Amino acid sequence: MPGSWVLLCYRLPREPSSPRVTIWRKLRRLGVAQLADGLVALPADARTREHFDWIAAEVRHSGGTAGLWLSQPASSAQERDLAAAMAADRAREYEDVLVAANAAAALEEPERARTVKRLRAELRRIGRRDYFPPRQRGTAHAAVTDLARGELSANAVSYSEGQR
Amino acid sequence: MKWATRTGVHVDRAACAWLIGRNIDKACEFIFVTDPAGVPADAVPFDMPGVDLTHHGHDCTFETMLRRYDIVDPVLWKLAEIIHEADIDDERFDAPAAPGLDIIIRGLSMTLTDEQILAVCGPILDGLYEYLKRSLILGREPA
Repeated sequence: MPGSWVLLCYRLPREPSSPRVTIWRKLRRLGVAQLADGLVALPADARTREHFDWIAAEVRHSGGTAGLWLSQPASSAQERDLAAAMAADRAREYEDVLVAANAAAALEEPERARTVKRLRAELRRIGRRDYFPPRQRGTAHAAVTDLARGELSANAVSYSEGQR
Repeated sequence: MKWATRTGVHVDRAACAWLIGRNIDKACEFIFVTDPAGVPADAVPFDMPGVDLTHHGHDCTFETMLRRYDIVDPVLWKLAEIIHEADIDDERFDAPAAPGLDIIIRGLSMTLTDEQILAVCGPILDGLYEYLKRSLILGREPA
């Protein structure tokens, strides 16, 4: 049985372009699934709905039109595809963190501690838009934890293998 | 006066209700609605799309209220940075307390009614205000 999704359908004037960029950045930050031009989706809950509510208000304020819809994919397969695409987007982001964590293993303090702080913030940011956690989530988190503890990043790999 | 906001209150609405009772209207009464169309005619709506006391530009509703009511208390503006980050999380301010406050109120929303959340958030925000006040006066973290 497919779950409930909240859809934001919006149109913005072509000019000026800055509201378009602002809205686009906000949607990207939320980790939306792009269904079509001007149509984005997130799994429905109080928080995602509220985020879309504010963005819709901002679109209207910028001279555009926007509507919020609650919907259900007609088939589980369709929902699976959507979730898989969103998970793949997050997986790429986690992989970037993993690469950065491994590269930082050779750093001396305090650069290393600074990198840990930056990567932790990045993990929090990704986590907030991670609705269908891919396996790379565990790997990336373990790599940053190991970096903080000053251990070799090889541990991160074995940890993630054990998690599957 | 009657004040109306959306049901399922979170950090911005809880902080606004606290601010209203503290600085704007001592005799305030709150009504929670599911749809903006359900706001009674004699109530002032806040923190919902399409009304005056709501998000504007970069501001969350708490910041909008401080501006609308010409409140210049630097402690409240410092608190506004925390509320802003807990609500919008756009990293406009450096507010390390924000993720914690966000989680605390999110948790309360799972166990309490809207009215109870406002009641519980009162002392939490009073304490946070006092902490921020002391740190502003001292110029460092208070004990």
